Amino acid sequence: MLRTYVIAFLIFLYAPIALLPIFAFNSGSVIAFPLDGFTTDWFAQLGQQTELHAALLNSLFVGVLASILSVLLGLAAARANVRYRFPGKTAAMGLIMVPLVLPEIIVATSLLVVIVRFFDWPLSLWSLIAAHVLICTPFAIAILNASFQALDPALEEASIDLGETRLSTFRLVTLPLVMPGIVAALLISFTISLDEFIIAFFLTGSDVTLPVYIWSTLRFPKLLPVIMALGTIMVVISILILTLAEWNRRRGLRRVGAKDTGGFL
Amino acid sequence: MSLAPETEPLIRLRGIQKYYGEYHALRGIDLDIRPGEFFSLLGPSGCGKTTLLRTIAGFEGVSEGTVTLGGQDMTRVPPNKRPTNMVFQSYAIFPHLSVAQNVGFGLRKRSDLNAAARQTMVEDALDMVGLDGYGSRGANALSGGQRQRVALARALVLRPKVLLLDEPLSALDKKMREQMQVELIRLQRQVGITFILVTHDQEEALVMSDRIAVMFEGEIAQLAEAEALYRRPIDRRVAEFIGTMNFLPASVSGDRVTVAGLGDMALSELQSTATTKGDTVAGFRPETATLLFEGQTTSDRVAEGTVSEVVYFGDMTYYDVTLEGCEQPVRISMRNVFGRPVLEIGTRARLAWSPGAVTLFRPGG
Repeated sequence: MLRTYVIAFLIFLYAPIALLPIFAFNSGSVIAFPLDGFTTDWFAQLGQQTELHAALLNSLFVGVLASILSVLLGLAAARANVRYRFPGKTAAMGLIMVPLVLPEIIVATSLLVVIVRFFDWPLSLWSLIAAHVLICTPFAIAILNASFQALDPALEEASIDLGETRLSTFRLVTLPLVMPGIVAALLISFTISLDEFIIAFFLTGSDVTLPVYIWSTLRFPKLLPVIMALGTIMVVISILILTLAEWNRRRGLRRVGAKDTGGFL
Repeated sequence: MSLAPETEPLIRLRGIQKYYGEYHALRGIDLDIRPGEFFSLLGPSGCGKTTLLRTIAGFEGVSEGTVTLGGQDMTRVPPNKRPTNMVFQSYAIFPHLSVAQNVGFGLRKRSDLNAAARQTMVEDALDMVGLDGYGSRGANALSGGQRQRVALARALVLRPKVLLLDEPLSALDKKMREQMQVELIRLQRQVGITFILVTHDQEEALVMSDRIAVMFEGEIAQLAEAEALYRRPIDRRVAEFIGTMNFLPASVSGDRVTVAGLGDMALSELQSTATTKGDTVAGFRPETATLLFEGQTTSDRVAEGTVSEVVYFGDMTYYDVTLEGCEQPVRISMRNVFGRPVLEIGTRARLAWSPGAVTLFRPGG
């Protein structure tokens, strides 16, 4: 009974995603069964879509910058959270983590109002980067919190005791030991930014990101199989990145000899 | 007392006060520690002993007072500039480095040494702690005892003036702990460096230390050599913390004292006497009294009582004896001599004791 339930649930979860590669390799231009035949044409056509290339570059630009900024902020917050006690810490950490559960449509609308109405700034990729930092930082903090918690504070003290400064201790001891956490946080932040649609739809002006571009192409049924091909590639890349992030995180825990206390996968 | 001039103390603490917000962690610590000494800070958890050790290391600043090391004021000097090294309770072995890299960590700053000299020093240090040949191992592949040795080698390779040990044996099992106690004593004699040990284990402190400071609630209650601490505890707290002691209500009047269960004696007969009047507390150690067997005679004084509990320990037996005129039973430890029977619960017993083993404490404290 339980087995049937689990199988049904997994089909419900993954069947739509499984359709992507099926139609990406289907030679018919209509997305419907029965299938016509096998082709890799749609993948080849990806190379000719210049608008798609621009959107992809925009997405990479936003993703890279947003993930780096999120992880820098996350490092500072996680270290402060684990190492220090200060008044209002619980409240501050709670508020920082809220975007994790805040509906993105709310974030998108309010940011649009703030940027356009209050500051009268033109919409650009920079406003999107700021918004993505907002939603990625809680994830970075959650991952880095675990990394710092697994780190014995006596290790940093031992380094200082043996003659190193605070700065060289960070470089020689802290950084190597939390590096797997940093890499995991970077990868997950990047994935979130790459996939994010609602905020990107609201905040990008003429420079669209990949998800927004994909949405805009849905009006042209002819392009649909090409999008299927693109989707297939993105699913594969997303799975690879998440696997890499998790593998990295576990390796980091093993390295400091700590027990696994969670994580996303 | 001694006529020879006192050696200049290596560590001199004066008027150390430490507050954490409202909490008064160290309350006016004055302490001199001599060069080459094996010194212990002993006390229950929360007494401030670790805070005091971290104050000497420089990890904790002081709210008031001065820390002098080797004649130099170190009160505001950070830990990386102090001639002290620490063995942490968790050992703090760097998990991403090999054993040799761990031990050589502090030598990186020594520009006067070339790579070969450093390697020799690392190997000598590992040899000293009995880990020769372990240099290339990963830190995670070590047992608890081996981590402890790496931590010792890593600190001692720098030849600090003072080695600080924060409960270094508490994570080890009993057998390993006893073995490491002996090794630490040997190491300390070999290198001649001042060791300061923090421990809550009175036995450990008694076995290892030249001198012991017993701490309660942020203050040093008594500073003495192991034997003096055991034989002449300054107050009831120290007497209770170091070993076992029987406490009996007592009453002083003039130059005589009456102790419940033991009777009347002159103050001058006692081992040590707190200047006190009226109701107070007297104490004696379980091994200073003996139970007499039938027909046995003694030149000591004798008190009568009933055996209320017998705890057999193989080489020893502990008897709880309720003395006449005293509700609280006293504990007596007896060596089990071959052929002598163990007394049973409920047996009448005669207790031989000597006033010279009785200590009088101030009431309360």
